[in-house]
Order: sequence, then structure tokens, then C-alpha cells
Amino acid sequence: MDRLYVIGRDVVPAQFGVLPSDPLRLTFVVLPGTSCALETEVLLTAPHCEADIAGLYLCAGDDRFSLKLNLRHEAGECRSRQLFKGMASGRARALFDGRVFVAHGAQKTSALQENHSLLLSCDARVESRPQLEIYADDVECSHGATAGSLDAQQQFYMQSRGIPREEALRLQKISFLSPVLERLPESLVDEVISCL
Amino acid sequence: MMPQKNKEILDTIGAAGDYKQGFVTQVEQEFVPKGLSEEIIRTISARKGEPQWLLEFRLDAFRKWQEMTPPSWGHLKLPVIDFQEIIYYAAPKRDEDRPTEIDPALMETFDKLGIPLHEREVLAGVKPKSNVAVDAVFDSVSVATTFRKTLSEKGIIFCSFSEAVREHPDLVRKYLASVVPTGDNFYAALNSAVFSDGSFCYIPKGVKCPMDLSSYFRINASGTGQFERTLIIADEGSSLSYMEGCTAPMRDEHQLHAAVVEIIVEKGADVRYSTVQNWYPGDAQGRGGILNLVTKRGICRGEGSHLSWTQVETGSAITWKYPSTILKGDHSSSEFYSVAMTGNWQQADTGTKMIHLGKNTRSRIVSKGISSGHSQNSYRGLVHIAPAADGARNYSQCDSLLIGSDCGAHTFPVIRSANPSAVVEHEATTSKISEQQLFYCNQRGISPEDAVALIVGGYAREVLQRLPMEFAVEAQKLLSLSLEGAVG
Repeated sequence: MDRLYVIGRDVVPAQFGVLPSDPLRLTFVVLPGTSCALETEVLLTAPHCEADIAGLYLCAGDDRFSLKLNLRHEAGECRSRQLFKGMASGRARALFDGRVFVAHGAQKTSALQENHSLLLSCDARVESRPQLEIYADDVECSHGATAGSLDAQQQFYMQSRGIPREEALRLQKISFLSPVLERLPESLVDEVISCL
Repeated sequence: MMPQKNKEILDTIGAAGDYKQGFVTQVEQEFVPKGLSEEIIRTISARKGEPQWLLEFRLDAFRKWQEMTPPSWGHLKLPVIDFQEIIYYAAPKRDEDRPTEIDPALMETFDKLGIPLHEREVLAGVKPKSNVAVDAVFDSVSVATTFRKTLSEKGIIFCSFSEAVREHPDLVRKYLASVVPTGDNFYAALNSAVFSDGSFCYIPKGVKCPMDLSSYFRINASGTGQFERTLIIADEGSSLSYMEGCTAPMRDEHQLHAAVVEIIVEKGADVRYSTVQNWYPGDAQGRGGILNLVTKRGICRGEGSHLSWTQVETGSAITWKYPSTILKGDHSSSEFYSVAMTGNWQQADTGTKMIHLGKNTRSRIVSKGISSGHSQNSYRGLVHIAPAADGARNYSQCDSLLIGSDCGAHTFPVIRSANPSAVVEHEATTSKISEQQLFYCNQRGISPEDAVALIVGGYAREVLQRLPMEFAVEAQKLLSLSLEGAVG
């Protein structure tokens, strides 16, 4: 199952069930001008299920965006990957609230959750709440979250080689988003890049 | 070095089995009637001979508390606490004729716990010279503070809270509730209303405290709660290392411990606060144990100030504790190092808050959770970057180790950033002890139990090595003790 949702255009189901025979590949895209509180759940109820979830959110102006993603490992020997990349500029507010739940007895679970945010203006705010709730011991679960801005040294490097500042910033943003951009069709990639 | 260390771990495991501090001391005690009302607060205040302003402070807190409800956001199953069933004040009765002498039974208690109260002995060279000044709090009152003379020569004030109220009212009034306001949270409000004693410490400008200061808390009486209040002020350019330890008898009932610790760190000052928390954790079926619901917060007020929290949490049926730092001064920094170990039916929800307000403020969080048995162990943390905190930096690392398939380990961090020049990083892992590591040790003749103690010791090392010497040994022992029976 390979699903792509552009928030605001597509309707996102409240729940995704995953079958062992059909790994889930899920991608979310949030373009500037989208304000919403998205809430969804991914359920891994049988052994050997796989979920690969990624998303990018570009929040600008007065956007208010929040994503609440509840990923439940109800059965053992499942694997999940999550990668969310967000940017907030203007007076935007972006919140990522993701939970990885590993039920009692769901042994041999492997779960990885990542959320990285860039803060591009002084009036923007980002908040990240990556959470692990684990009730089984033979698991490998980890999460990581960062908040920061575009690296000034990289900009200097590019500018010193004749790349204009605006272009350098765009390149930095593209490279930040690239792990998620790879999953999108070309037309959508163009649309995302035109918003940067 | 290594064989000896192993032997030490072996010895402690061998000697273990029970909570060694679980005895009860028979001392004559005076209580106020159980229950909580304005009347009780007035009684406590009168019994302690407090000034009017402090009574009003208490009553104000009590009125706020009445409007509040207990927090329920923790990942904890808290038993319903009947606040009217608790005795809010219990003090060892003192012999009025000889107020300077300590009751021999009390002395014995602290001896059993290995707390050196007898500085005479120390000075006479009976015991190896200890380098720690201790303030011991027995139920509701502070019973003794050692090394006062040495400290006062340097202008350091280290005494019980009640004494500070009498002797240094200006300082107490100025700083009390300046970091944890009376209405901060349910338990802090309760503490502000009924706190009985605790430690007070003031380090004057430019003074480096010549020895580690320490508070020792002991709950003894049945049906009581302990509500101590600690206030530490480090004036400009001073430095201090402070340690806190706690134990309680074994009982089938839950006992409440709701403390408040406030630390004020002025410009260029440096405070290290270490805790080894070993309250009675309840029995193997989860009956009894201390409910440890405390509020600890420090403020780095001045430029370049530094506050470091180190905690080893092995005891208590329930721990609800978030030592936090407000980084207000520019270039100030703070660290939080924690090892939280839960076994049997213990529950811990602990972590920290780093509030970055000033420019170029730095914080670092290292949290190691170890859960075994049916316990639940959570890390909960907040890193807040305010709009003015240019160049702020935080790094957090939270690891959880699971031993056994019935326990839980949870991580609930929150990162809030409102400044583009700030960099915040958080990472966490959850896993069990690898079979390979265990196999490696077993194969070299180390028994599974020792191997686990060894691996956990290594896992917690980064935090344990931050502790002052006196505490590091105790903490290591406690960890191996708590691990007993966790494997196999």
C-alpha cells in the first residue's frame, strides 16, 4: 500500500491498518497556507508488518499546523520507520506529536521515529513531542528530534563560490527536505520547491 | 581493581534481599492531630514559633491549594491520597533541659544509616575525617547540623530552615517561593502550606564552600508525611556542592513525601546538586512505599552561572519529580544527569525542564532509565527556547534499559523553540541488555546476575561519575541491590 496525501486536498483516514503481505508506505505533504490539526493512527496488529511513514510540512504566514500520529505496535516482529521534516516561517506554528506504542508482548519490535524542524523566522514557533511508550523488553526503539536553523557556514561556503544568497538558502532547504522529496512524484516536488 | 569491584557487587548482592534502611526508631514523638485545615496550619506555625509573615505565607498557599486538583498527566497510577488522613507534623520530643544533646535513639538511627552527625568523634579522629557537613531531618524537624563553626568562619550559613527563619528572616523572606511560587502546582502548594523543616544554605559572594554540604531526610513516624523545604542561595562567584539522601521504614501503607527545593544561582556562581533517593519502595507485591512527589527548581539568575543536577533514583513506590532549571542569565548553563531504576511495582515519572531565557544559554540532559519486574519508568522532559534566547543550545539523551518482559519504559520529551538561532537536539533509545554482552561475561565465568550488575553499572557510568565520591559508592551499591532478582 503506497499512499500519498497532500493535506488540504486529500482526505486522510483516521486509521491505517497494515497487513503482513502489504507493507504500508505513507507520505504526508503540507504546503504553505494549510492550517489544520491532523490526527491519525497506524495499527500493526499482526507479526511481520512494516510501516514506512514520512512527511514534510512547510508552514508560513499565520499557518497553524499540528500532526498527531499514533503508531501502535500491537504484535511483535513488526518494523516501523517515521521521518518528519518541518519548516516554519512568518508567524507560523508547527507541532509534531508522534507516539510509538509497543504493546505488552510485542517482542522483536523495531521502531524508529525522527522529527527535524527548521525555524526560519523570529516569530515562528516549532514544537516537537516524539514519544515512546514501550511495554515489551526485546525491542529496538529509538527516536530523535532536532530544532534549529539553516547553517550559516554552509551559506558562506556557497556564497564564496558565487552562488547568490537566495539560491544558497533554497539549496539548503531542498537538501533538508530531500529524504522526503524522493518519495514524491515530480510534479509535486516542483510544487514544493516553488514554495521554498 | 576489577576483581575487587566485582567482589563488592557480589557482597552487596549477597547481603541484600531486603531494604536495609527499613527499621523503625522508637523515640518519643509529638504530633499534631491528623488532617489539614487552617487550624492545623496555625498550630504548626505556633509550635514552631514562626513570625506572622510566614503564617500568612502558609495560609495563602493553603487557600490556593484548596482550589487546586492533583495533577493527572503523569504516566502513573497514583493511589487516591486522603489528605485528611495524614499527620502533617511529627517531631522527636526533646528534653527541654538539655536542648543541645541529641536523643541517643536518634543518634543510633543516623549511625545505622551511616550519617556522621558526631563531629566530636570526627574531630577526635575516631572515624576517618569526613568532608561533609550534614543537616539531618527526622520526620518534620531538623535534628542536627554539623560543621557549623568551620562554615560560619567563611560566612556560610548552613542550618535548618526553622533556624534560618529566626536568624536570617530577611534572606528567607527575599528568596522563599521566588523560584517555586506557592501556587506553582498542587504538591508545591501543599508543601508551602504545611512544610515543617528542611535545610537552608547561603554562600556569600566569592566564597568557595570548603566541603560538600548534605541534607539527610528520614521518615520515621507512621501515618505522617514529610514536607521539607530546602532553600539554597549561591551569591555571586560562589561555588557549592550539595548532596541529599533519604530513607524511610518499611510499612504497608503509603507515605507521602512532598518536598520543595529552590536554588538561586547568582552571577558566576556554580552549584552542583546531587540526590541519591532511596525511600522505601514498597514490598515485592507493591504494597506500601513512599509517594515521592517533589518539586525541585533552580534559577541561574546571573550571567555565567551554572547549576548541575545529578540524581540517582532507586527508591519510592511512586516518583514524580522534575528537577528544572530556568536559565535566565546570559551565558548560563545547566546539566541534568539522572539514573532512575525501578523494580517490582515501582513507578517513576521523572525528568527535567530546561527553560532557556537568556542569550547563549546551554543545557545538557542525560537520562538513563532502568526498569525491571512490573515497574513503569518514564522520562518526561521539556526544553523551552524563549524568543530572546539567541544562540541557545541543548542536547538531550535519554536511554532506557528493559530487564524482563513485564516492565515498561517510556519517553515523553517536548521541545519548544521560538528562536531560529537556537539548536536543540534530542535522542532516545530503548532496548534490553544484549544477549551477546551477557554471553561474553558468562563465558568468562561471571554469573548472569553479576554480569547484569556490571553491564548496568557501565550503562549508568556517565551519570554515576558525576556524583561526589561519598555518593558514588553508595549509588553503585544501590543499583546492584535493586537489580537483585531482576534476572533469571
